[in-house]
Amino acid sequence: MPARILLQHLRPYARRYALGFGCLALASLCALAIPWTLKRAIEALQAGAPAGELRQYVLLILALAAAHGLVRLGSRFAILGGSQAVEFDLRQSLYGHLGRLPLAFYQAHRTGDLMSRASNDLSAVKLLAGFGALSLMATTTAFVGTLIAMVAIDPWLTLYAMAPYPLLILLAKRVNTTVHRQSQAVQEQLGALSAKVQENLAGMGVVRAYTMEAGEVRHFQRLNAEYLRRSLSLARTQATFSPLLGLIAGIGTLVVLWIGGAAVAEKRITLGSFVAFNAYLAHLAWPTIALGWTLSIVRRGLAAMGRIAEVFGVEPDIRDAADAVDLPLDLGQASIEFRDLSFAYEGRGPALRNVTLTVPAGSTLAVVGPTGSGKSTLGALIPRLFDPPAGSLFIGGQDVRRIRLASLRRAVGYVPQDPFLFSRSIRDNLSLAVGPSTAERRAEAARVAGLADEIDGFPAGWDTVVGERGLTLSGGQRQRAALARALAADPPILVLDDTFANVDAAKEVEILHALREAFGGRTTLMITHRLRAAREADWIVVLDEGRIVEQGGHEALLAGSGLYARLWRIQQLEEEISRA
Amino acid sequence: MRSPRHGGQGQPEIHEDEILGKAYDSRLALRLWRVTRPYRRVVLVSAFLFFPVAALELLQPYLIKVAIDSHILPGDWSGLTRIAGAFLLTLAGLYALRALQSYLMHLTGQRVMHDLRHRLFAHTQRMDAAFFDKNPVGRLMTRILNDVEAVSDMFASGAVAILGDVVTVAGIVVVMLAMNWRLALVTFALVPLLAASAAYFRRQARDAYRGLRTRLARLNAFLQESLQGMMVIQLFCREREERRAFEALNAEYRRAQFRSTAYDASLYAVVEAIGSAAVALLLWYGGGQIWDGVLTFGGLVAFIEYTNRFFLPIRDLGAKYAVMQAGMASSERIFGLLDLEPGIKPGTGPGRAGAPEHAAPEGAPPAVEFQNVWFAYEGEEWVLADCSFRVAAGERVALVGVTGAGKSTIARLLNRSYDVARGRVLVEGLDVGEWDPRALRRHVGLVLQDVFLFTGSVEANLRMGTDGAIGRDTLERAAALANARGFIESLPGGFGYGIRERGVNLSQGQRQLLAIARALVYNPAVLVLDEATSSVDPESEALVQEAMERLVEGRTSLVIAHRLSTVQRADRVLVLHRGRVSEEGTHAELVRRDGLYAQLYELQCGR
Repeated sequence: MPARILLQHLRPYARRYALGFGCLALASLCALAIPWTLKRAIEALQAGAPAGELRQYVLLILALAAAHGLVRLGSRFAILGGSQAVEFDLRQSLYGHLGRLPLAFYQAHRTGDLMSRASNDLSAVKLLAGFGALSLMATTTAFVGTLIAMVAIDPWLTLYAMAPYPLLILLAKRVNTTVHRQSQAVQEQLGALSAKVQENLAGMGVVRAYTMEAGEVRHFQRLNAEYLRRSLSLARTQATFSPLLGLIAGIGTLVVLWIGGAAVAEKRITLGSFVAFNAYLAHLAWPTIALGWTLSIVRRGLAAMGRIAEVFGVEPDIRDAADAVDLPLDLGQASIEFRDLSFAYEGRGPALRNVTLTVPAGSTLAVVGPTGSGKSTLGALIPRLFDPPAGSLFIGGQDVRRIRLASLRRAVGYVPQDPFLFSRSIRDNLSLAVGPSTAERRAEAARVAGLADEIDGFPAGWDTVVGERGLTLSGGQRQRAALARALAADPPILVLDDTFANVDAAKEVEILHALREAFGGRTTLMITHRLRAAREADWIVVLDEGRIVEQGGHEALLAGSGLYARLWRIQQLEEEISRA
Repeated sequence: MRSPRHGGQGQPEIHEDEILGKAYDSRLALRLWRVTRPYRRVVLVSAFLFFPVAALELLQPYLIKVAIDSHILPGDWSGLTRIAGAFLLTLAGLYALRALQSYLMHLTGQRVMHDLRHRLFAHTQRMDAAFFDKNPVGRLMTRILNDVEAVSDMFASGAVAILGDVVTVAGIVVVMLAMNWRLALVTFALVPLLAASAAYFRRQARDAYRGLRTRLARLNAFLQESLQGMMVIQLFCREREERRAFEALNAEYRRAQFRSTAYDASLYAVVEAIGSAAVALLLWYGGGQIWDGVLTFGGLVAFIEYTNRFFLPIRDLGAKYAVMQAGMASSERIFGLLDLEPGIKPGTGPGRAGAPEHAAPEGAPPAVEFQNVWFAYEGEEWVLADCSFRVAAGERVALVGVTGAGKSTIARLLNRSYDVARGRVLVEGLDVGEWDPRALRRHVGLVLQDVFLFTGSVEANLRMGTDGAIGRDTLERAAALANARGFIESLPGGFGYGIRERGVNLSQGQRQLLAIARALVYNPAVLVLDEATSSVDPESEALVQEAMERLVEGRTSLVIAHRLSTVQRADRVLVLHRGRVSEEGTHAELVRRDGLYAQLYELQCGR
């Protein structure tokens, strides 16, 4: 599966890679031709050839050098550029796939984990498709080409010169494995160290209260000393590894100097061949040393691709049914009906039990009840943030599971409990809804949400950037902005999930009145813990432990002695205290 | 409760930490030099090693020249063997010296990093609460973990390596000039071209890389926001639009990446081409000299070798410069943090640590007294306004009030996490500012509402702050009193059971019991207890209540109460409202008075 996804993304760039590999082969050829030309030039010099011939060789070397530079650049542009294109496509596919995954997926996966897959793992895959591919190919051509050139000069000398190589490759690979193991150990200890620092800084209040500072420093020091110890063992291995390049090249030179020198002395080869042979051996030093590194790029890239493939493997379970229909809603048809609806989140007990309830089109229903009674779940099922069982939730008489998602969500204005605003301008945030969101519509929505005056007061008005990288809005402002955002789409159905929790009570009632005036006729499901707001609704439902325990108008419920009446009394008292 | 603390591991601030200044700053360099004091001998040895390394490097091409001219061409095999032997020795020597040097340079870098980390961490432990309000955890972690790394790199592969390159290049220049100054000038003629093109491409590559980083940060920020706000995107059917916006950023990143790759690849291509050009030039001019008998074949080969070794350091100078720059910028931030002094100065007064004095003598000052205290976390937003009260020795006082009334602030002022703006806080008749903070915090124990357990064994969590002077039997007794012994002994490993981060592998009730046991072990004379609001199951609740009762018994205590039973058992109740004590008396008196307290009480009962 991981390899299949990677191949699928590589296929469009097959030509590009072919071109890159072609360039690489040409570059190797040029690189081999330069020492060969040098050989011919020295031979010519020894033979006392005319200056004109020497000049030709000089010009040839210059031309080869320029050509080598060009095709080498070409190979990098083609292959590294290709890997960047693959990364681009993969990232785009991943983003598109993530956009189809339901809320439950995001609740089960931490953002950090997903980020790491979409960023670090993707980079590792790019490295595999870029430097990994390049390096594997370059190593192959370097070894093949150089060996051929060397054998052409003198097979025996080649044999002697290559004799230490198997050992060197083995050595480089072994050291590389050790380096890998030791860097893992260093990283692990760094993790422990940073966990310690994080915990200490986060728990500084306790550290201070219990005068633990000295002990904490001692503990940190133990971890820090262990980190030093591990880093130094890594440094020892690396110290033997990093001068290895020079050693490998040097041993080649030594063999050529001694055995090749003797061959020149015996006139078996020319001095020019001797010089060229030396240059060829130098070509091999780097690919030899880099072999371990290349292989680890491949290994890591494949592992990373596996983690990315896991995300691709998650099937979105909330999607359009084959026979999905659009919702031709005008205001008169936007009724909501729950038919004996029971619902449980995966792996947990029931959140809603046998809820049967009808919200007639154009009316307002308030849902109240203690924390954890299932209020938010009831609201979240309407736009299918979670899927209700088939045949249990109907909008305009149509089972929501048979309504096209886009059509359903366009019809439902859902304002969540903890509104998320994007770090964009307030205008962009209020124009999220697709379709003709005109300036007037936005202004009207902001007015109803009681936000218009505040926006005028912002430093850049409607262009003020809000959120993490801009103006920090208060909780109440964010909630009202989320309401305005939903209203700007002018949906026939509104679901307000405790939308006014951080808005003061007087303002809440004010907004509700404005809402009724400007957006009357919307079917509204208002989840609230404030009964003063619930009083404004046409009908009130009290939920407890997922069941409807009471329902009716405000006065009727108050007259009873149930949960509603008790909650009302507590809230009255709280208000008095806060006024004291 | 008002806590202006920014928790969590924030993203490393790109803006502040991306600023790169000079690669060399004499003031900073001096301070860094001081940091290396314990390892100066190692630094000097590794610097000194550059001379033999350079000498051996220079010797190798010369050996080749001698081999060609004196032994290979004349056909002297035994002489050639001697030269090959000498060459082998230089190889072995170079390998050994380079390995030793690499190790020594890393040794210095790692040791300096270790020391700086220690200093930084110890320094944060001395800082006051206001410092942590201003510096988010993420930023401090960047200082302690990442910035020191950059400084270490500077020692391992920046500053010292540049020195080595200078020695090598200078040596090559001298040798080439001495061997054949005309031919040397031919090589040097290419140096300006090499240096200029290397500098040009390096600078472009660096700028491109910076652009790349910014683009990547933007791309990731967008992605992160999309992941967090996916529900909104889906509710508003924005998937296609967001994907298009993401594509624009993704494409920008790809372009920036390609730019960076292009400059990097060009740098290497150009340097290599110039290297080949140098060979061609040497061949051309050297060929003429060979005709004239001024140059030998060996000399020409040696010159080609020298030229190769000469170009490498020039090419890599830019990379080392960047390491220096990053190291300097990081060390500036590190020293900036080390230079900050805690705003709360420790008092020099008597440290009254030691045995808690349970029974106060007649006429002794109150254990705790607030005298007209004013306090604000920020500006003039008073959290406490003219707050006054006393707690007598041995008295049990409950503090109640609505959220935001300043209850937790009182606790924080008592152990001097913050200093008051006006008024005085007295403990045992002595202003907290005059206490030695350690003694004060041993005397006034603060048990926080938010039970913060540390990664480590149960035992280590119970011993917190007591320096190990406590016997195992005391721990077990405390655990038994806190009703915690039963569950601790049922854990795998008992007291040695490993608690994970923040105690996630214990239940809420167990965590509260451990917090009580911890306070019993700590055994402060004055106990300030911020009662937990979070409810636990009724069975654990009974255990917690009983344990709490034993903890408070016979001790001066100030309890920020959330439970009715706690208030009923208190000797006196203080009602905090809008930053001051608005009512006080016993529970019964206050209920009868029918004021704010009576309403709070009714509210409690209604739930």
